[in-house]
Amino acid sequence: MSDCCPGSKTMDFSDDEQTEDETGARQSQLKQWPIQLHLVSPQAPYFQERDILLAADCVPFTLADFHKDHLKGKSLAIGCPKLDSDQEVYVDKIASLIDDSKINTLTVMIMQVPCCMGLSQIAKSGADKATRKIPVKQVVVSVEGGQVLSEEWL
Amino acid sequence: MENIMSKDIRAVIDQCPDVGRILEEYGIGCAPCSVGSCLVSDVVGIHGLDPQTEATLMYKMEKAIYPDRDVPEPKVDLSKIVPKEINYSPAVKNLVDEHVLIKRMLALIPTIADFVENSETVDKDLILSCVDFIRGYADKFHHMKEEDIFFKYVDEQSEIIKIMYEDHDTGRNHVKNVVEGAENGNKAQIKEHLNGYRDLLTQHIKKEDEILYPWIERQMTDNQIGELFQRCSAADASVGEELPKKYEKFIIELEEKFAKEN
Repeated sequence: MSDCCPGSKTMDFSDDEQTEDETGARQSQLKQWPIQLHLVSPQAPYFQERDILLAADCVPFTLADFHKDHLKGKSLAIGCPKLDSDQEVYVDKIASLIDDSKINTLTVMIMQVPCCMGLSQIAKSGADKATRKIPVKQVVVSVEGGQVLSEEWL
Repeated sequence: MENIMSKDIRAVIDQCPDVGRILEEYGIGCAPCSVGSCLVSDVVGIHGLDPQTEATLMYKMEKAIYPDRDVPEPKVDLSKIVPKEINYSPAVKNLVDEHVLIKRMLALIPTIADFVENSETVDKDLILSCVDFIRGYADKFHHMKEEDIFFKYVDEQSEIIKIMYEDHDTGRNHVKNVVEGAENGNKAQIKEHLNGYRDLLTQHIKKEDEILYPWIERQMTDNQIGELFQRCSAADASVGEELPKKYEKFIIELEEKFAKEN
């Protein structure tokens, strides 16, 4: 991954101090760049020993409090199991996150639509491929109303 | 209602026995509990009832305690109440799975107790090998992960955790008595304390599987769940994978021995 492209340049801003916003606007809980699973390096500093959230692309748009309730305290990767190509790379990257970056947990957030289950399958395949074992959780979000329908450890 | 919430459940049931009956209706077995020092607020909170069920339970308890009070009945939409299946995180699922092997030992205890009673002399080796399972697997391998790791994620001074520790100690005392009985050839002592251990652990495991473990997990962050998994995995690795296999083999052989004898 070249550091020349601003779109894929690795940035970890988890140490940046958060200041109180006097307007009452919520602050972003995103502490890294990039976030797209093809663009991230699984060995990036912001993944080391962290809790990882792997979200389907549509998830953050349906949940009004995505940052506060789900992203806070976690590092992020996003992808679409229906449209993204070369998904075997995703499986390898998940395995590398677990083995090389020694991530603590992996939470997969998907939409309730059937095609989104593919992202959970990618996560499970990556976890199976890894030598280390970690807890993997699946969270399913409703299309209408943006509610969490289920949360379960796989 | 607030002042009731901060009282010991035993005091409330003594004052109004109907409360015990109402709790029973909701699968909360406080009435027969000999300790009864849990606070009402903890008793209700620990069972993780859905909001509508909890509101109805509180309404019924308040009406039982203050029959003259005008308490509005909560509207409960039964169609919205879906029975919840317990979904344990991987480390806690392993603890629940370890209970299965312990329960297989508990299931054999009545047969072992009868065997002891009907034998001419006490089969000391048999009793001590059962004690070795209880001490080596149930206590050292399993209970120590609870005491040294899992229970540390909640306030160890909470009544429910204190009761769990008391159960572990009572169990150890039963086992000590079983050993004493085996050493002295005292059949009655062996039988009494094997059965005592069985009764205690049967209830203890049920409480852990259905109430305590889910309650602790509800309070844990994902970060703690991951940490718990790594710490329990390290504890398992420290004793080696042969130890649980050895004890599983022992239970299988014990089941076969008594299946043949019957």
